[in-house]
Amino acid sequence: MKVSVRIRRQASRESKPDYQTYSVECSEGNTILDVLNKIQWEQDGSLAYRRNCRNAICGSCAMRVNGRAVLTCQNLVGEELEDQTELLIQPLGNLPVIKDLVVDMTKFWNNLKKVDPFVSTASRQIPEKEFLQLPEQREKLQSAANCILCGACYSECNAAAVNDDFVGPHALAKAYRVMADNRDDRTKERIEQYNQPGGVWDCTRCFNCNEVCPVGVEPLDRISQIKQTILQQEKMEDSTALRHRRTMVELVKEDGWIDESKFGLKVVTDSGRDLKGLVSLIPLGTRMVVKGKMPWPWKFKPSEGKLEIKALINAVSQHLKDQRKI
Amino acid sequence: MTLKYAYYPGCVAKGACKELHDSTTGIARVLGIELVELEKASCCGSGTFKETDEFLEDTVNARNIALAEELGLTMMTQCSTCQGVIGRVNDKLKYGEQSQRDHVNQYLDGHHYQGTTEVKHLLWILVQDYGLDALKQKVQKSLNGLKCGAFYGCYLLRGQTVTRYEDPYHPHSLEDVFTALGATPIEYEGRTQCCGWPLASYATNASFSMAGRHLLAAIEAGADCIVTPCPLCHLNLDSRQPEVEKVIGKKLGIPILHLPQLIGLALGLNPEQLGLSRHIVSTSSVINSVLSR
Repeated sequence: MKVSVRIRRQASRESKPDYQTYSVECSEGNTILDVLNKIQWEQDGSLAYRRNCRNAICGSCAMRVNGRAVLTCQNLVGEELEDQTELLIQPLGNLPVIKDLVVDMTKFWNNLKKVDPFVSTASRQIPEKEFLQLPEQREKLQSAANCILCGACYSECNAAAVNDDFVGPHALAKAYRVMADNRDDRTKERIEQYNQPGGVWDCTRCFNCNEVCPVGVEPLDRISQIKQTILQQEKMEDSTALRHRRTMVELVKEDGWIDESKFGLKVVTDSGRDLKGLVSLIPLGTRMVVKGKMPWPWKFKPSEGKLEIKALINAVSQHLKDQRKI
Repeated sequence: MTLKYAYYPGCVAKGACKELHDSTTGIARVLGIELVELEKASCCGSGTFKETDEFLEDTVNARNIALAEELGLTMMTQCSTCQGVIGRVNDKLKYGEQSQRDHVNQYLDGHHYQGTTEVKHLLWILVQDYGLDALKQKVQKSLNGLKCGAFYGCYLLRGQTVTRYEDPYHPHSLEDVFTALGATPIEYEGRTQCCGWPLASYATNASFSMAGRHLLAAIEAGADCIVTPCPLCHLNLDSRQPEVEKVIGKKLGIPILHLPQLIGLALGLNPEQLGLSRHIVSTSSVINSVLSR
């Protein structure tokens, strides 16, 4: 079959990008990487891209194909063209282009370093034997340990696109992997560290990382696990992000539905204690009143099942507490 | 046969976006879709319950689904986030191990989750169950010439992985509805991405930058308005648009419509009844362009 392949070209870091279309003879069973190789070997030797293992192990060949990041050695032409008429190939997003489909991954690696991505045994005595890990302890790390650091998740991360300080899903998946490792002796510091700005609360839950990860790390779920650990800490400094989560549970437990004005006051103004927060709500509140959009507390109607919901959340909370004690 | 659903309104449609509830029930009447509201349901947790514990999200929403099962009806949502959260729980429990269902049911006093129903967004119901041809026949005022940019919401596209309605990167259900109503779909980068709402209470700069880049892209692509099936996206794109403008340093002023409001206009419903005056960004340009036809 003849396939039309549109590729984003860029001669250098500074040059303006452009699109070039190639016509390639290939089969449905070819990988996207096969197609790129064909173009480079048979039509245009100037096309730059990264490749190495061809086995979804090395993570070198991640690029954007038809709008989202994939490993080009893993995805097949036939699958890509099921509902598209051409292959659109672009470099990974959220990283600067060096040439054509090759991006500068310095920031990606620096962000990974920020989470201290190594199991720390520094404070311990060097043992006579290795640090042991039971199979069930290893099992907890499995999905995060699958990460091949290809950059697909970072490319599509909506939070990284607007927030320079956010370390990214790859770094937080690794953060979970070391935090949950029974051999690591820095768990307490890590919980503090990942709770800081740039850490887990800067994720916007766009699901793109889970969606594009080629090896099932599901970074969003790993981020959720770190958040769960943080929320379980009794002595954690309060913050709007933590109040947001706790208030959700508290208000649903009371009324079934969320009373939005109460939610805003509790979360953003810390029940009136945070004056800056209070001031920040004034313009929003004013314009909602003007437009008749204000969810006044006296208009709020709790769920008719609120007592049942309260009993349910109480029982589940008790169960979770008991489970953690074991 | 009359279509009948167990209607899960969600918190926002009964509060800050009451116009969503009004327009959904308004179009349902005209289309002859019967809605039985789940008066005993509760908030789905909007994705944050899972951050406390997944079992909390599962049990609370298994109860919500069980309420629909008791009526023998499919549950209808009208919010991308509610859909993604409740739909995921239904997928997990319905298609997962019996032991998971048993565990959840231990906590549902007086209810029993069986896994016998579906959870469907209003958008999917219109396209799949009602049908676009039938919808087209109900159009009183064609939206001919109105350029609409879709804003889907992350949870609608990517929240569920077991049962999935459409390709999360090349969806077209909203655009298909626009076309059925006579409007012109405008494609722009960002229609499948995050509005920034989950961060709006504490990481405002990031949240509003996210909203800003998508609104700007839609305007540059020529959209007259944005249409969303998610009231949380609506809050960040409409109610916070003045803050969004400040953060990106550009004037926007693009009206954001709830999906049933756009449909309601085409069905000939009164703009006031659809709550089109309850928006922060004026919707008068859209109303005028429709009424002047």
